[in-house]
Amino acid sequence: MDENRWTLRVHAVSKGPSTVFVRHSQFEAGEPLRFDPTYKQVTALEYLLSAIGADLVGGLQVIARRQSLKVTEIEAAVSCKLNNPLTYLGVVGEDGHSGVEQVAVTVYVSSEETEDTIRQVWDEVLKRSPLVNTLKPAMRLDLTVKLVR
Amino acid sequence: MITPVRIGAVLYDPKVAVIWDIIGDFFEKLSCSIEVVYFSNYNLQVEALLNKQIDVAWNSPLAWLEAQRQSGGGCRAIAMRDTDRDRVAHLIVKHSSDIKALADLRGKTVAVGAKDSPQATLIPLGFLERHGLRPGTDFQVKRFDVLVGKHGDHVGGELEALRCLQRGEADACALLDLNWNRWSTDGTANPREYGILATTEKFDHCVFTVREEFPHDVEREWLKVLFSMKYDDPKHREMMDMEGLKQWLPGRTTGFGPLAHAVEMDLFLGR
Repeated sequence: MDENRWTLRVHAVSKGPSTVFVRHSQFEAGEPLRFDPTYKQVTALEYLLSAIGADLVGGLQVIARRQSLKVTEIEAAVSCKLNNPLTYLGVVGEDGHSGVEQVAVTVYVSSEETEDTIRQVWDEVLKRSPLVNTLKPAMRLDLTVKLVR
Repeated sequence: MITPVRIGAVLYDPKVAVIWDIIGDFFEKLSCSIEVVYFSNYNLQVEALLNKQIDVAWNSPLAWLEAQRQSGGGCRAIAMRDTDRDRVAHLIVKHSSDIKALADLRGKTVAVGAKDSPQATLIPLGFLERHGLRPGTDFQVKRFDVLVGKHGDHVGGELEALRCLQRGEADACALLDLNWNRWSTDGTANPREYGILATTEKFDHCVFTVREEFPHDVEREWLKVLFSMKYDDPKHREMMDMEGLKQWLPGRTTGFGPLAHAVEMDLFLGR
């Protein structure tokens, strides 16, 4: 097995959500993108944003723990901007593309540690993050950390 | 496999696609599948209708006129919302202004919506023209060209016209009755400060348009499903509320006179 390769499977029938099989777990995923706030499934785009948020929150948690820092809670607010969502709907006459142009993440850290300490951890998170390192060359990433007392 | 009826719709906001998703599901459940094709503007949609790339176009009144003009009267209006019938536009002024009659607009400034908006530009300007006030000569026009090509579906230009009046940069503005009703009750405009100076003649708005040769049996089946939507049914009501209607009605072409007049008077600066 190639140690640098990760695999999963995604399966769907003619209608309804896809099922994602990851190692011994599975979850459902909806359509690539939806504009209906009542849509029940999590879209592929939302999974991408979730993954970015989880990457940063989980990364911060791991590094803080390794350094025996006291962190009680971490929360990320994630948003993104698409170049032109109308192109996803195939609107005739629209220009641009449906890709993500910018992702903004604010990570709130509740901790007794100093701001400098959290800042150093954050720098390390960004340096090591698989997703930040993947996405950085492709889009604008506005990533900030805020210490909450 | 039954070929779905291809419906054209102009999209000014991705959220509009949600309405069409619900309509699509509704038709599918009644075994009359539709395929919705979205367009960024009405010119492209009319072109697609006449080139047979779509079967039915959800047309603005200006797109209806344009389809008829380009096809030499070769289109039919098959359905519309109850709220598309007998609309009017108002000319709104400040109560405290010295404008008490249409003639008082002479030498003043009137704010309107986008240059291709039937309700907020073309019909009100045509109305003033018929009352002896030539736009650009007898009064100045301040136009707000927001999302031109979408025929004023996007209320942005109309709202800008109201804002212009509120800033004191215009003496009057033109608004669709439904928007005036909404904005004068939701706090956007204070009805104690602003009121209706004059109201245009009645006109009709959007209409489902087909080419003359669209098969009558397919049309009958499609309309049967469309007209089966009932506001009393909670499952249908959500979509009908979003689309702003209580009932689908047969299409009629008797309500496009005021707009046709404005277009003939060359008030449509988009051409």
